[in-house]
Amino acid sequence: MADPNKVDPIHQFAITDVFSTGEGGFAFTNSALFMVLTVGLIIIYLVGSTAGRRLIPGRAQVVSELLYEFVANMVRGAAGTEGMKFFPFVFSLFMFVLVANMFGMIPFFFTVTSHIIVTFALAMLVFVVVIAYGFYRNGFKFLKLFVPAGVPSYVLPIVVPIEIVSFLSRPISLSVRLFANILAGHITLKVFAGFIVSLGSLGALGFLGASLPLIMTIAITALEFLVAALQAYVFAVLTSMYINDAIHPSH
Amino acid sequence: MIKPQDDQSLPDSAKGVTRDLASRIASAKRERDIEARRASASGSAEMTGMGRGVRIGTEFIAAILVGAVIGYLIDLGLGTRPWGLLIMFLVGFAAGILNVTRVVTEMNKAAPPPPGPDLGPDMDEDDDR
Repeated sequence: MADPNKVDPIHQFAITDVFSTGEGGFAFTNSALFMVLTVGLIIIYLVGSTAGRRLIPGRAQVVSELLYEFVANMVRGAAGTEGMKFFPFVFSLFMFVLVANMFGMIPFFFTVTSHIIVTFALAMLVFVVVIAYGFYRNGFKFLKLFVPAGVPSYVLPIVVPIEIVSFLSRPISLSVRLFANILAGHITLKVFAGFIVSLGSLGALGFLGASLPLIMTIAITALEFLVAALQAYVFAVLTSMYINDAIHPSH
Repeated sequence: MIKPQDDQSLPDSAKGVTRDLASRIASAKRERDIEARRASASGSAEMTGMGRGVRIGTEFIAAILVGAVIGYLIDLGLGTRPWGLLIMFLVGFAAGILNVTRVVTEMNKAAPPPPGPDLGPDMDEDDDR
């Protein structure tokens, strides 16, 4: 980064070992480190702020309660009261994605959700939970998810494969959306920030020109905070909608 | 709010002032409700255009990818070289369209048109904006 002509926007996503037990052994990477930090911050904040259990909450407790209410209303709205069984699951996912995205906005921090394998693992977790609970609760009636009501039987051979592919595409779209938003945002931010450095090194005129990408970078930073929160929300909403499908398979 | 009236005003006019105030509070509350509903509708359902675009795009592409991969695997397993991929690719395309229509239906449901302007049965006025 010292050389202004060599801005590498991808470098921030590199995985490095914090420590490892030799070649092919256990390795604790920076990605794992930030996952641990994310979970640690969530636990410390939520447990710490609600430990007092005051009837009139303080500031920290209000934030925790707001988060709880927000996710609870979301799950209740998308999956009904029965879906509240999955509230801890959705809340954990929401908090993890939200805090991981927000960690990514701090300079020099690693963004866990910018790696597709992480988001894909989260999405597969949702997918497996939906399938397992769907079969557990509805038995083979769960397969009615693939047979829309009111479709004449001679179109079913075409409709059912389409529905199955549509269902299988869910974890892909869920994971790619989160990953792509975060990755694209961070690369854009880095590229515009790189323009400031390279323009600023061109003397007085370049200094003037560098103010344009500086304004852009500030604007994109604000936008990225929005995207970080929004993507966590979208992930949680879609999770609760898929859970709703598992509870009520006929749509 | 407080009108500079004499304190010894008649109870009748005081009542009138209270009623006036009550109706004003009611109308303000109604306005705030509408405002809040609009804010939550546009705030919850992916307000950025980019978010919306990425949402629809990923739904579409993911289905095509899944269809193509399934077709390829069928080909590998059964040795029906091009046909599995070709057919499942088209099925994936159809599933992508289905996904997109579902997402858009859901987005439209989440953000109904504001109650103020009456768009009428034919939406020709939309062109003006």
